[in-house]
Amino acid sequence: MNFPKATISEITGLLEAVNDSGGIEDAARLAADFDLELDEILPSIDGAELLGFAVVKDGNIELTKNGQELLEAGIRERKNIIRDKVAGVELIKELRKKLLESGERRMKKEEALKFIQKSISTTDIDSYFRIIINWTRHAGLIGYNSDAEEICLMAEK
Amino acid sequence: MLVEIKNVSKAYETNGNRIQALENINFSVEDNDFICIVGPSGCGKSTLLRIIVGLEKPTSGEVLFKGEVIAPDNPKVSMVFQNFALFPWLTVKENIELALAPMIAGEKEKDKIACKYVRAVGLDGFERVYPRELSGGMKQRVGFARALAVEPVLLCMDEPFSSLDALTSQNLKDELLMLWADKNMPPDAVIMVTHNVEEAVYMANRIIILSPRPGKIVADLKIELDRPRNRKDPEFYRWVDKVYSLIV
Repeated sequence: MNFPKATISEITGLLEAVNDSGGIEDAARLAADFDLELDEILPSIDGAELLGFAVVKDGNIELTKNGQELLEAGIRERKNIIRDKVAGVELIKELRKKLLESGERRMKKEEALKFIQKSISTTDIDSYFRIIINWTRHAGLIGYNSDAEEICLMAEK
Repeated sequence: MLVEIKNVSKAYETNGNRIQALENINFSVEDNDFICIVGPSGCGKSTLLRIIVGLEKPTSGEVLFKGEVIAPDNPKVSMVFQNFALFPWLTVKENIELALAPMIAGEKEKDKIACKYVRAVGLDGFERVYPRELSGGMKQRVGFARALAVEPVLLCMDEPFSSLDALTSQNLKDELLMLWADKNMPPDAVIMVTHNVEEAVYMANRIIILSPRPGKIVADLKIELDRPRNRKDPEFYRWVDKVYSLIV
């Protein structure tokens, strides 16, 4: 499996641009609008699709109903919508399950890297770790303490 | 009238040479103004912003904030920087609380205000994170939260999106406009410096165009476009063209 290397901000920015084009836009044209190459926006497109905010068909990116809802929401509600979607991502589900099973609800970064590496085959596991933590912090699901080098389940609100 | 910029000129002396950066700038900032200052690079737009917030003194002329000469420690004016200017050894929340320190003594009160603005910009969950762990977009959200936490009357921003990648920058512009549209949030007026004309037309209700050095005001335009604005709208592009045509 591959995990999209795009932050939540990048994904949301992409969706906002698709929205400006009326909810559907050609991927290559979208990249050109941002003065980017297609491969530079691909991770954000993959991320939008993984989170269910857009679908890709024949080179077009189209907002889903969830994507529309996200863009119509305010900053606070956006966080809740993103939380629900990130919680449904398989790798993050598994990671949360593992954290729940460990009595202390925390895990050393090293152990987390090994766990992630089982799903994502890469030599650059650290940058995937950063993206996953970007998503889970954004969603209020899994935090990371860089002093202790460990991840932990965040308290339910 | 919130701020009055009166006959502001600025010159620098280097090796006996005098370089005129700004020449006789006059305008005033009213409630609800979202002003973008645009102009070719080197026209002195960032210098002008630093003079407006009181960080730099004009060679002649003055800046009045509600009738008084502006002071650099005026808590009613705050600033967002291009490179975020966060303290790396402080967490997100500590960076915001530090901005509150000169005006609020109680730890509990500081905590309450910092939390309010952390939530407002969508940074909850990141309170105890250090800047080095944050993406550029998250860093600039801290910059916004810190600037808003002092509940400024005037918010000044110097190229706040230009260190961000294109997609993140798009997202932050939209979020900043959401905060601006929220009547319960500060500030009363914004002045933003940008080199990006599309960005100015997207954000501003007023655009001030400076000439090449020495910077003089060549136009002060009211942007009459409904919000939310759409960058694909032909009307949007007419404004962009108009601004470009006025920039030398």
